[in-house]
Amino acid sequence: MRVTTPMALLGVLLLAALPALLPAGLLNAAIQMLIAALFACAYSLLSGRAGMLSFGHAAYFGVGAFATVHAMKAFGGAGLLPTPLLPLVGALAGLGFGIVAGWFATQRSGTTFAMITLAIAELLHAIAPQLKGWFGGESGISTMRMPAWGLSFGSTQQVYYLALAWVLLSLALLYFHAATPMGRLTLALRENSHRLGFLGYDAHGLGVSAFALSAMLSGIAGSLQVVSNEAVNYVVFDAGVSAAVVLNSYIGGVGTFLGPALGAALMTFFSYAVSDATQSWLLYQGVLFVLVMMVLPGGLTGLVSTTARLVGRHGFAAVLPLALLALGAALLLSAGTVFVVEAVQRIFSQDYRSLARMAASLPPITMFAHAWQPAAASTWLVPAALLATGAAFAWSARARLAALTRGTESNALEAAAPAIS
Amino acid sequence: MLVHSIVRTAVASAALLGGIAHAAPVKIGLVETLSGPQASSGQAYRAGVRYAIDRLNAAGGWNGESVQLLEYDNQGGPAGASDKLKAAIADGVQIVVQGSSSAIGGQVTEDVRKHNLRNPGKEIVYINVGAEALELTGEKCNFHHFRFAGNAQVRVKALVDGMKQANALGTKVYAINQNYSWGQDVEQAVVDNQAYGGYKVVEKTLHDVNKIQDFAPYIAKIGASGAETVITGNWSNDLLLLMKASKAGGLKARFGTVYLDQPGNIANAGELAAGHFIVHAFNAEAGGAEGQRFVDDYKAKMGHVPVFVEPQTVFAIEMVAEALKRSKPEGGALNANAFAKTLESTKITTPVGEWSVRASDHQALLPMVVSMVSKDAKYKADDTAFGFKPVKVFSAEQAAAPAQASCKMQRPG
Amino acid sequence: MDAVVFAVLNGVIYGLLLFMVSAGLTLIFGMMGVLNFAHASFYMLGAYFAYALQGLVGFAGAVVLSTLLVGGVGVVVERGFLRRVHRHGHAHELLLTFGLSFIVAELVKLFFGNYPVDYRVPKALDFAAFAVGTQQYPVYRVLMGGIALLMFAAIYLLLTRTRIGIVVRAAIYRPRMVEALGHHVQLVFMGVFGIGAALAGLAGAVAGAFYTTNPNMALEIGVMVFVVVVVGGLGSLAGAMLASLLIGILTSLAVGVDASIADLAALVGAREWAQGIGGLLTLKLSSLAATIPFALMLLVLLLRPSGLMGERT
Repeated sequence: MRVTTPMALLGVLLLAALPALLPAGLLNAAIQMLIAALFACAYSLLSGRAGMLSFGHAAYFGVGAFATVHAMKAFGGAGLLPTPLLPLVGALAGLGFGIVAGWFATQRSGTTFAMITLAIAELLHAIAPQLKGWFGGESGISTMRMPAWGLSFGSTQQVYYLALAWVLLSLALLYFHAATPMGRLTLALRENSHRLGFLGYDAHGLGVSAFALSAMLSGIAGSLQVVSNEAVNYVVFDAGVSAAVVLNSYIGGVGTFLGPALGAALMTFFSYAVSDATQSWLLYQGVLFVLVMMVLPGGLTGLVSTTARLVGRHGFAAVLPLALLALGAALLLSAGTVFVVEAVQRIFSQDYRSLARMAASLPPITMFAHAWQPAAASTWLVPAALLATGAAFAWSARARLAALTRGTESNALEAAAPAIS
Repeated sequence: MLVHSIVRTAVASAALLGGIAHAAPVKIGLVETLSGPQASSGQAYRAGVRYAIDRLNAAGGWNGESVQLLEYDNQGGPAGASDKLKAAIADGVQIVVQGSSSAIGGQVTEDVRKHNLRNPGKEIVYINVGAEALELTGEKCNFHHFRFAGNAQVRVKALVDGMKQANALGTKVYAINQNYSWGQDVEQAVVDNQAYGGYKVVEKTLHDVNKIQDFAPYIAKIGASGAETVITGNWSNDLLLLMKASKAGGLKARFGTVYLDQPGNIANAGELAAGHFIVHAFNAEAGGAEGQRFVDDYKAKMGHVPVFVEPQTVFAIEMVAEALKRSKPEGGALNANAFAKTLESTKITTPVGEWSVRASDHQALLPMVVSMVSKDAKYKADDTAFGFKPVKVFSAEQAAAPAQASCKMQRPG
Repeated sequence: MDAVVFAVLNGVIYGLLLFMVSAGLTLIFGMMGVLNFAHASFYMLGAYFAYALQGLVGFAGAVVLSTLLVGGVGVVVERGFLRRVHRHGHAHELLLTFGLSFIVAELVKLFFGNYPVDYRVPKALDFAAFAVGTQQYPVYRVLMGGIALLMFAAIYLLLTRTRIGIVVRAAIYRPRMVEALGHHVQLVFMGVFGIGAALAGLAGAVAGAFYTTNPNMALEIGVMVFVVVVVGGLGSLAGAMLASLLIGILTSLAVGVDASIADLAALVGAREWAQGIGGLLTLKLSSLAATIPFALMLLVLLLRPSGLMGERT
């Protein structure tokens, strides 16, 4: 599904209007979503377009962040680097480190490349807490955003617009890079780097350029996080941060331009909203990852484009019931799973177990503002019903999809048959 | 959890609809590590806070309304804590509570300071119930931060004193700690207290935090140094593995620790922990009848006896409750600056002694109990045969360590 | 001199533990090209299953049973999950195993709680085997080392001296050909994955009693196992053994060395200069002990990317 210029403009307008639409708490979440989206797009330049799977991208994010915090302390928001121009420091730091790391990493390919990037990030993560001067030990370095250009940068709104401006600028840069010869050649790196060499291009140099550009944009993202949080800590180099960006990109769909941004925004919002609602949110996140990898290998944008293709081929009326069934299945299965997980979590908790030992019969558990009896069959009928109905919906959705696509194949065969016989 | 989330959304919408003229309930926000690898300590803090807030509301709340507790999961790191703090502020929280990590504590105290600077009239107060790095009442001290926990100096001073009085200290001490602010503070405190404790530090070691599985090389170093006592501020795996390795290696030294009462430690260590010491803020056996009452009430409401950081958290919130009682509403709402001033002069009596606050750096003055792991303890730990038998109780004055010179607190006008 | 002997002995024993866990991973990678992020989770599952079963069938029975159970889990993971994403590429497989590691860790926390559980060395095995100077070595540690060596010998003999081993090794190089010759390659893959998982489970069941059994076990040992596999050479069993021992001994020796680069600079009279610069130059080697494996990994990747004993492709 191609994003046309009017759609893009509409998107930008919507983003610009967000501060008026959202409460202050959600606006801060929106800033984090923007930063995650930029980081994911930077990552997918390397892994999606250039085909090099990197496992240590947090290193460049973190280097940009630390460079920015030092610049903030040094310049105090005035002089050469007023607050709005601070992400330039992150860009330069990311670029510099990216060129050095990329030079070594891109000499190998495949799994070795991934392991080298992982080793760089892990080494940085292990050494950073020891180098107090540069990385501030385990409490990190904190600073303060200073007013510049007539704005105080004290409110969340101003930080939001600053982040939005830089993210849009970086995305524009990525877009135009894809249109340049160098950008096209990056695609060729993924397809067949050997052939590229034979055609006379420097495959290694191209690899380094892709790596460096990706690192530069990651540095900008790290920089924006520091401007927003006014502090940075060595845990920014943690393997979890690298893993999160990989997952966000693949969930969004790494082959497309805006896919990773979408995936990152969604997953950031998911963790922001769900982490306060339940203590098992990491389990749900893990299940989501596994399901997306198994059922939607093309990510969410893959899902959207497949649906668009189905609609194009069979018409809206044929696809609508299928979509409704699939949506219903997803909702019912999720509800059933959430019920079971939350119930099990409460039943197996230390406190409940000691309460149960003291009481004569199993005490009730509180869930969703209602008391449930764990020993009663009625309690377990609810998730059983949800899961069974959800499974039935999913089965019938699969059957419908198979029928639809089979119909197409048989039509195509019939169309081809007269020509053959 | 879902209820709290719904409450938050409802509150946010109410805030959107404009100011509220009548009495506004006080909102206390807990920004803690409630999931992920370090969730165990965050959940312990949460249990203590919930118990104390329930008691406060049972006694009438504040200004005729119940105090609301909003819980936020900081997703395990300072960046997440910063985000959730902003969400809490947007939800109208005026008192923020946090304790499980000094790194996160550092982030929160700075964020609170910056918010208060940028938003005069809408200040918030940070109640620190467990982050014990010295810098929080040192370079990073600020008027709106209150530390209701010990710190390295206070802990080590009480520990060496208690062990000396129990004739378990000896003259050769080895200090092994984690290589970050807390561990370095403990190491410094062990060195500083040499004259006071009458011992010599034969060697000191710092090791990576939570990365080492095999402590045998460190045990070899300790054995080779001939130390009689090992003092360590290690927690969680670093403490447990160190003690297991010491038993495996046949090390005869006595351990003086800060976090031996973390749930799971005694269960895992069993009799190899017997005879080792700990310094903590509460021991029910030392609290007499009052202590027994507290423990029974806590167990009836929360399902387990208060251990580890839970008692100190409960007392911290009791200090907040006492200060709230003495704070009059202004325009129907709580004035954070007035509340903080009142909190500075608040005192409460706990089963082991009196708690108060030192105005110069907002470090609480609290009693410290030195206990020994033994079969004779009245309250058993982790459902084993062992518990912590109190050896000596130090009152708040005896336990206090002087304020740091690096704290230059700026008070509001 | 004593200190060096201690350090080497400690390092060897720790290295053998690392080998137990990474043996399975390097086999799986060599076979299927899948770098399994959930491997350390199998280690953790082994410990927890053994803890749960210990009350029912005793310690030895619990160890054996938990090994088989984890092997079963491995088979299910391969058949039900990995096979489905295999055709989408390496990234998807890796991410799937990553998601699985999350799920396993959270499930363990759900059922067993966040704190370490009481899984200990049984009384019968809890005594000292021998002493070197003042330091004792418990029998259980020697037993762990023995199991690791037995594992190495068993897998090596299995791979080189039996028919199954030949089929497995052939399937690494030419799976299609092996299939054409009539062997059930899918079954072979499933079996190898299951055995790799079972080995990790055995390591967990045995080591969990000696170290701690807590929900973060997988995270603690996970990255180290990767370092071992990469340094040793992906797919090489002897390489994994060599790398484990190397990393164990290096880490152990480093703990005893309180010197830094500044001390080295003192040899040429430049100590004050180095100390003036500070930072990296004044860091003591003993506090960097856990960082050394990563530096080694980076070095090996840059200079000899196929690992110390891997095949040069």
